[in-house]
Amino acid sequence: MRVLMVGLDNAGKTTIVKRLNGEDITTISPTLGFNIKTMSFKGYKLNIWDIGGQKTLRPYWRNYYEKTDALIWVVDSADLARLEDCRAELHNLLREERLFGATLLIFANKQDIASALPVAELEKALNIGSITKRHCRVVACSAVDGSGLLEGFDFVVHDISSRIYLFS
Amino acid sequence: MAQITPEVVLSYTKPASGYLCPLNANTFGIEFLKFEIKEYDTNTVVYQVAREPDSEPLPEVLDPEIEDMIRSVKYTFPASFLKFKTVRTLLEFCVGPQPVSNLRMIERHFFKDKLVRTYDFEFGFCIPNSTNSWEAIYDVPEYPAGVINDYVTSPWAHKSDSFYFVDNKLIMHNKAEYQYVQD
Repeated sequence: MRVLMVGLDNAGKTTIVKRLNGEDITTISPTLGFNIKTMSFKGYKLNIWDIGGQKTLRPYWRNYYEKTDALIWVVDSADLARLEDCRAELHNLLREERLFGATLLIFANKQDIASALPVAELEKALNIGSITKRHCRVVACSAVDGSGLLEGFDFVVHDISSRIYLFS
Repeated sequence: MAQITPEVVLSYTKPASGYLCPLNANTFGIEFLKFEIKEYDTNTVVYQVAREPDSEPLPEVLDPEIEDMIRSVKYTFPASFLKFKTVRTLLEFCVGPQPVSNLRMIERHFFKDKLVRTYDFEFGFCIPNSTNSWEAIYDVPEYPAGVINDYVTSPWAHKSDSFYFVDNKLIMHNKAEYQYVQD
């Protein structure tokens, strides 16, 4: 299963993948390219492509859409100043034909921060209601305390596997 | 010389003799910065090497001995490595100012000139001037005691060829040899 993980810079993409594996997350530097993680999760083999989110890197995201089974969009729920930027980039991505069939998980990350926007408000700000015609879920999480991560990845592998089963 | 493609190297039944492309075939400035092998369950580091990117390009003509030093590695692992259930490997590399369109790695492992394992991984596109990593966590099949003993008593009989292709064209070829010592 090929999982593409994108979102604005500093959203916590790399930290989420590391935390999922119980790795040290004290020093994580900005991703200046990609980090691929090949691992098994609940008996499924995952290839997670975590691509850097800096503005200069975003035009290259398109090179990673091919064969994507699931898209994980990571949001820094406490970065209120860039929510509009985040909404625009997400909806841009969803217009991409090569991603039409992909499961969509939105991680509302950094929920451990007091000023983080709760999921309901985040959904409004990101206009999640307008996303139809695809399997989509928003999951509150914190890469720091690990909450929500399993729930999110569970959804991803179940959704992909049910689809694969349907077509085989 | 016939073009070396992924299909060609996947058909090899023993280690390649010599290097199948010159060092300067790597026109993309791909450089390995870090390689790490760990036992997953205990997070024990088995092997670790890290370096800074080259400040200057290599000279056009290299002494074969120096070239061999650059392109081949000899690993000494504890025999317990062969008993690990889950292994984590991390490879970090940077690329030069050109985009790399379709990077693929094929690594072939041989023991006593018999193919024992193949790794085949498509990195795909690499962003210009990027630093990238690939971490793989995988389960290792359990070796029978006799096989482990065979590896330990046959130093350097385990060899590997690592081939890197861009758009199916060979741009790098490195070799490794392994020995296992009782710990």
